[in-house]
Amino acid sequence: MSNNYFNTLPLREQLEQLAKCRFMHMNEFTDGVNALKGKKMVIIGCGAQGLNQGLNLRDSGLDVSYTLRQSAIDEKRQSFKNASENGFTVGTYEELIPTADIVLNLTPDKQHTPVVTAVMPLMKQGACLSYSHGFNIVEEGMQVRDDLTVIMVAPKCPGSEVRAEYVRGFGVPTLIAVHENNDPQGHGLALAKAYAVGTGGHKAGVLMSSFIAEVKSDLMGEQTILCGMLQTGSLLCFDKMIDKGVDAGYASKLIQYGWETITEALKYGGVTNMLDRLSNPAKIKAFDLSEELKVIMRPLYNKHQDDIINGTFSRTMMADWANDDINLLGWRAETGETAFEKTVAGDVEISEQEYFDHGILMVAMVKAGVELAFETMTAAGIIADSAYYESLHETPLIANTIARKKLYEMNATISDTAEYGCYLYNHACLPLLNDFMKDIDTDVIGRGLSSDDNGVDNARLIEVNEALRSHPVEAIGATLRGHMADMKKII
Amino acid sequence: MIQLHNLAVEFDEGFQLKHINWQIEQHQHWLITGANGAGKSALAAVLAGYGEILAGNTSGLPCNIGWVSFEAQAELIQAELKKDDADILDVISLGTPVREIIFTAEIDTTVAQGLIHKFELNYILDRAFRKLSTGESRKVILIRALSCHADLLILDEPFDGLDSTAHTLLQHHLAEVVQHTPVVMVLNRFDEIPEFISHIAYMEQGELRHQVKREDTQAYAELYQLLHLKTTDLQVPVADTDNVIPALDPQQPLVKLSNICIKHTDMVLLNDLNWSIEPNQNWQLSGPNGSGKTALLSLITGDHPQCYTNDIFVFGYQRGNGESIWQIKQYIGYVSTALQWEYRVGTSLRNVIISGFYDSIGLYSRSSDRQKQIADQWLALLGMPNRGDQPFNKLSYGDQRLLLIARAMVKHPPLLILDEPCLGLDDINRQLVLALIEKICAARETSVIYVNHHAQDRIAGIDNYLALEKSSDNC
Repeated sequence: MSNNYFNTLPLREQLEQLAKCRFMHMNEFTDGVNALKGKKMVIIGCGAQGLNQGLNLRDSGLDVSYTLRQSAIDEKRQSFKNASENGFTVGTYEELIPTADIVLNLTPDKQHTPVVTAVMPLMKQGACLSYSHGFNIVEEGMQVRDDLTVIMVAPKCPGSEVRAEYVRGFGVPTLIAVHENNDPQGHGLALAKAYAVGTGGHKAGVLMSSFIAEVKSDLMGEQTILCGMLQTGSLLCFDKMIDKGVDAGYASKLIQYGWETITEALKYGGVTNMLDRLSNPAKIKAFDLSEELKVIMRPLYNKHQDDIINGTFSRTMMADWANDDINLLGWRAETGETAFEKTVAGDVEISEQEYFDHGILMVAMVKAGVELAFETMTAAGIIADSAYYESLHETPLIANTIARKKLYEMNATISDTAEYGCYLYNHACLPLLNDFMKDIDTDVIGRGLSSDDNGVDNARLIEVNEALRSHPVEAIGATLRGHMADMKKII
Repeated sequence: MIQLHNLAVEFDEGFQLKHINWQIEQHQHWLITGANGAGKSALAAVLAGYGEILAGNTSGLPCNIGWVSFEAQAELIQAELKKDDADILDVISLGTPVREIIFTAEIDTTVAQGLIHKFELNYILDRAFRKLSTGESRKVILIRALSCHADLLILDEPFDGLDSTAHTLLQHHLAEVVQHTPVVMVLNRFDEIPEFISHIAYMEQGELRHQVKREDTQAYAELYQLLHLKTTDLQVPVADTDNVIPALDPQQPLVKLSNICIKHTDMVLLNDLNWSIEPNQNWQLSGPNGSGKTALLSLITGDHPQCYTNDIFVFGYQRGNGESIWQIKQYIGYVSTALQWEYRVGTSLRNVIISGFYDSIGLYSRSSDRQKQIADQWLALLGMPNRGDQPFNKLSYGDQRLLLIARAMVKHPPLLILDEPCLGLDDINRQLVLALIEKICAARETSVIYVNHHAQDRIAGIDNYLALEKSSDNC
């Protein structure tokens, strides 16, 4: 039976683990892929992450093959086709795991316990088990054989990007960690670094973190600002516009593509740049709204972080796994029935700037969500670097999925874990914002401020600009985007 | 009758057309020609309703237009590529099948079916559009434009990327179409001008400089001359002596492919092919669309996943023995239409050339002063001096191609692969490129693989030929 690993640690160690996150220097990767040269790498699972990481590792000169369950091979499932059509050796656990020097577990969270339980007895003495998410170790307390090394290498982008950037001669930002309880030979870090080089991650920047920091910050980010806030925001903004007589097609389009457009500005220049895209009166309006939102939503963010830290969240979710995902599937169906989801985006032209001008409330929601998630994470002991990546940095990635096929696409492409947390957030947040939404009108969502007066009070504008720029997420963001720009001079 | 009166139009990239006075009467079929970046495609796009009108006016523009262009093709491909990014965690998008791309509501199904039959495209209908070869996707775009009951057909370089069979088929089909539909064609190769063209418009620096009737032979010849400006003496800039590529054993072939077989689930693309490229050999590779030319080349460059399941020896490495693709790519310079589509990064012209030293799309390493100097010499050679800081993605299509050719040549690679390098180039630039390639072939320090459909584009120093057929066997 699972036993939350984090909760078994003394507070001192919990804090130490949460605070781990360091941007690694390029010269820490001069050994290249040598630590993995000639070693046999066997990947479990051949979805987008599994396939694309494998293609990169092989092109970096490493020996990669895939192991799938017998049934996936017999039925020639998509995972089997992905691997075999790309010229990889594919075999069962029994055939390949005993030969592996490093086993890469790239299956979804939910399968980790059965998968790891099945492969562990087959793994050879002293081999390495690699994860790209720490949930299984931290939340489920998976006990890995003492002789095995356990590491994590997590590219912070979708699988297709992992491949596309490598082919361009670059990579995607990557998080690595070593599970200190399982590093008997002391070479976990060397393996993780070589793996990051093999996928091209070292060129885009590597964060050295811990299993615990990764899990606790990743869960927090994905269920609050990344997915939860965007889902709640989409539903509230749409219903408000319909209520106020805005054309349904327009409202649907403004939201579907609005998140992507406004968070693109966030990606390039943080919250400050996103708000700088607004006119002065609109900026002040967005600022005031977000301050109000932060007061209302702060207890909810605290609750999510508390539940994640103390294991309540994962316990509840795993109970749902055990119950055939009854809650998850119910909530998924419910989301599909919402008015926003069912209204097709209208065939209307919306200019890039109009998404900002008519979406002041959306800008306010993103600002409030990013800042709250960041503040809550850092207050819980997570270091600013981690908190930045798991809040602001990933928001545009999720916003892109909504632009493609609305909430359906977002929830279909994020992990089940993220989706579950997103629904939890949404159900709590909708009633919480009930009163707030009563005072909202189309000047901040749907039609924009009237343009007859563009004047603002100097003192107030200075105050707002100062507040925006001095938020701690902006300071760490500027530093980390600076690192990235050094490496990626094309931007 | 279509009229453009004193028109000034601005496009997204800040490019402007000025002082356009043009009248297209019934039963006229126009050719728009001119140098790269002169505004040929822009003028055609105005007819399709694109661009912001700054001055003047238009009348009589038809609403239903069939439009074929590289831009239209690239747009569709990019839309498909975007769908492919559609996963945050673990979903692989299969892409839109060709059938859905062609058979939309506004399409005349009978005409489209007929063309699919003529072009022998039945076999691709259920494939993902983005998996098609350049020539195949070009045919799909053509079929869409020719089947949509257009009041005006705008064909921007319609023959580019087509093999000679498809080229002839299209010529014949157009000869029928022009009986009932006016055509405006953009071509930068005068020698491809179809019989039915009755008028020629010559663009230069965003202005419509000359309008010539086909039957006015004198004026027609002068226009032809204008497009055939002689190129000056070309001096290829030297390689970067600070970053020398590891030497190769001159006794070994550069490339040795043995019993090559490439198969997909539904077909065998190449079967039991053998090919050796010795140092200092130059090759021309030809074959119809879909015969596997690009796939074969990607086995050499390491971009094809099946290069690990074939017997491939390249630049001293037997593939699949722990070498990285970057060790292979350092020996290769590469240009293709696909590369141009992938090169969607906002970087400067200088950096695009320098990226050739690193085999990357975009520049991710600090470059040396020496490399910057060499890049600037290349820019001067291409007739773009002092433009090193301009953004690459704002260049015209033809100018982008020239830049990518310079990028491929900048490190003086032992092997230079030019996959249809003249696609989309005008006569002057085509001559410039061919002259460059000839110089490189003559110097015999780089081996060239040259892929082209146009027989008349033969290069002086090339004396080895490999022709691929469409394969239908099983491995």
